[in-house]
Amino acid sequence: MTTIVEQPSGGMTSRPKSRTWGVVRLQFTNKQTFVWVPVVVLGGVWLITLIIYWIVSPSGANSPMYSGGSQAPLWYFAVVGAQAMNLTFYFSQAMSLTRREFYLGSLLAAGISAVGISLVFVALGLIEQATDGYGINGYFAYLPWIWEGGPLAAGTIYFVLTMLWFVLGFWFAIVKNRFGSLIVAVSLIGIALVLVAGAAWVSFNRAWPEVWMRLVDAQAIGLACWALGLTVVFALGSYLTLRRLTS
Amino acid sequence: MNSVVELRHLTKVYKSMIALNDVSLSIEQDSIYGLLGRNGAGKTTLMSILTAQNFATSGEVEVFGENPYENARVLKRMCFVRESQKYPEDSKAKHAFANARRFFPHWDQVFAEELIEEFRLPLNTTVKKLSRGQQSAIGVIIGLASRAEITFFDEPYLGFDAVARQTFYDRLIADYAEHPRTVVLSSHLIDEVADLIENVIVIDRGSIIIDDSAEEVRKRAVNIVGDADAIARLVAGREVIHRESLGRVASVTMLGRLSSVDHEYIADANLDLAPVSLQQLIVRTTQEGPVDPSAAATEVRSVQT
Repeated sequence: MTTIVEQPSGGMTSRPKSRTWGVVRLQFTNKQTFVWVPVVVLGGVWLITLIIYWIVSPSGANSPMYSGGSQAPLWYFAVVGAQAMNLTFYFSQAMSLTRREFYLGSLLAAGISAVGISLVFVALGLIEQATDGYGINGYFAYLPWIWEGGPLAAGTIYFVLTMLWFVLGFWFAIVKNRFGSLIVAVSLIGIALVLVAGAAWVSFNRAWPEVWMRLVDAQAIGLACWALGLTVVFALGSYLTLRRLTS
Repeated sequence: MNSVVELRHLTKVYKSMIALNDVSLSIEQDSIYGLLGRNGAGKTTLMSILTAQNFATSGEVEVFGENPYENARVLKRMCFVRESQKYPEDSKAKHAFANARRFFPHWDQVFAEELIEEFRLPLNTTVKKLSRGQQSAIGVIIGLASRAEITFFDEPYLGFDAVARQTFYDRLIADYAEHPRTVVLSSHLIDEVADLIENVIVIDRGSIIIDDSAEEVRKRAVNIVGDADAIARLVAGREVIHRESLGRVASVTMLGRLSSVDHEYIADANLDLAPVSLQQLIVRTTQEGPVDPSAAATEVRSVQT
């Protein structure tokens, strides 16, 4: 070949490593999915929660207020996972990327985003600790059960849960693109049936009190380890499903 | 010449359909190929398998001597421009180009900017809001400016007006002259691309029915123009694939080659030989099954033009 082209300034050679990093930048090309919408969801839920606390606090309750709203940004990562996959995969194919490069780069991008959101949670938690729940005893990020092991453990838990949701959304998007919506629906119902069967088993054995005891006894960080295990399983599943996805 | 692509006994079966049927093919370096055939003939499937975006059911694929599947070394030397490329949610043309610049080692930014100007492509509008032709322009610009060693264009001009199509052809041929590379152009606008392509691959119902240089393919038929009666006498008993007439003047394309007797007759009757339309030849072959090469060969009675 005599087509050695003069590289324009800033042109880079595509070695495999930098190509995976390139996928991270590809995912972040459009800041909306990975940055702005999560920020809006997190900020919005935080604001709404605080307003509710502010409305509720004068009514005399002295006990600390906690909210499940802080989970919303984590759940949103299932949407982020699906979006990181859906159209972007087909574009990555047009960029002559391998499926492995796309997969690793996308997980890396999600990891960066998850670290970001965990840091925000830890920072909020520390502020809440220092100000006794914004002075009104209302907590958004500081949930004692999660913070038992300190800020680092809490950050790890937030990180793992974010990644879990991301990988779930990512995998379901791959399954949908490869096998169709019908199979996604069937698998979701299958999963629900397994959960219901588990609950039935617990009920028949009159084991609910024991299950609750176990859950209460379990350290949050221990559950996070389980969640990490699940994340790894789902991540491997995603890779195996993606390997044979065609466009 | 070196071949950059080797396919051996490639078969692709979808649930109820054979998309590619025992295709063996080689593609030479630094040449422009026309991959021609009707809709659903297997053109896109073939290019998808070559770029490892799809998988063969059986058979072997080698690109630059290696299997392209999950092979970054091979893939980064190729660029596949699809008819309807998908772009990430809410992305704009400028995002697509920023990424292409990152992943294609021979990307020429100056060339890309010239093309953006020429196709009048707005960079800051989301891809979804661009017209069909503008969306196609993104793919065409990526295909040209990436200067990949093998570039596949799969009907890249969907929604292009005549001017934009001509711009594409002109830019392709000019840039190819300066930076020779392998281009596979799939198209059903055969006459439009006829002057561009050096080699013709015609695929029909999953099988390759023509794989030859454009020049050789054109020799499979002759086109004679002149007095209608004189032509009628010449073509009597031969297979005519196209006929046009205006008053006493006719233009007739027939399969086979001309003998020295034919040439003498043509000279005496004041008939003219005109270039054969690739499109007519290919339409004829894909309508009625392949032109039997042995039948064509038997008509080579003496001199070849």
